[in-house]
Amino acid sequence: MGLLPSGLSEVIVDDEDLARFLTSSSLFNTQMAKPAAFLPHPQDRETSIFRHGNNPLDGLREIGVKYVVGERKLHGAAIFKAQHVRAAQLDVVAEEPPPRHAAIKNWPLFENDAELQKAKRKEMAALICSKAELVLL
Amino acid sequence: MPDPLSTTLGIWLGYATVQGYARESSAVSFEARVLREAINGVVGLAERSQSLFGAKADAISQLRAIANECAEVGWDGYEAYPLEWTSVRLAEEFIRAMPDDLPLPEFAPEPDGSVSLDWIQSRNRMFSLSVGITNRLAYAWLDGSDKGHGVARFDGERIPPRVIEGITGIMNHGTATVGAL
Repeated sequence: MGLLPSGLSEVIVDDEDLARFLTSSSLFNTQMAKPAAFLPHPQDRETSIFRHGNNPLDGLREIGVKYVVGERKLHGAAIFKAQHVRAAQLDVVAEEPPPRHAAIKNWPLFENDAELQKAKRKEMAALICSKAELVLL
Repeated sequence: MPDPLSTTLGIWLGYATVQGYARESSAVSFEARVLREAINGVVGLAERSQSLFGAKADAISQLRAIANECAEVGWDGYEAYPLEWTSVRLAEEFIRAMPDDLPLPEFAPEPDGSVSLDWIQSRNRMFSLSVGITNRLAYAWLDGSDKGHGVARFDGERIPPRVIEGITGIMNHGTATVGAL
């Protein structure tokens, strides 16, 4: 098993913490991140995430500020485990650079029905968001 | 915001007249009592309409604020597409068409430019509907260990019954009877 430039293993184990940064306050409410926060980018069909939990919080914030938010406001992050992604029948794989970057892959593709494809993806996103912890930064 | 209908009624008939009829009075004639009850009914309905219209207007304002916030590529820090104004307009039509007894949703932007309308009861009970640029609405729900998804057509005026049943099932703690494809 190889190591990546960040020093992390190439393989993401089931109980590893993952973070999806939230740059819009409408992507979460007082309880949780919403399903929309986990949907993939329409072109590459991947959801970009980072391999970091809520501890230390400063480390999480630093990654968000450095690699994600740019001039936008960093509101928080949804923290979840790799096993939650896999339980939704999706894959999660390391994808550096940047350091600690990973992606949720294998979102379903229904070439003849964009809305049905979207509906299935929303169901999978809802499954992940039901397990994710909201961390405000 | 437009004046409440009760205000308009007040202007037409005169406040003193309406209020005089609407409150308990000592009028004894049958006609006076019937008129008072009718006016009470109209005023009550108007106030209820104003309250509901106000809530929907607030929701539409929130939706437009999100559309403005997410009007540029990369609003999410991950190169998301800007929200489509067609989607926003369709979402507004959806809100206006919602039956008055259905709870209003929360909104969220989606990375493909669609708008998500979410009814979240708890982290394991939610109904999420996506409004994109077509009249076919994608939806998904979680209900404890049950889950599902589907597509329903929205004609701009009437909320698809399957969607109403799904929202009601989730928000009323009942058994969701959402039809999947």
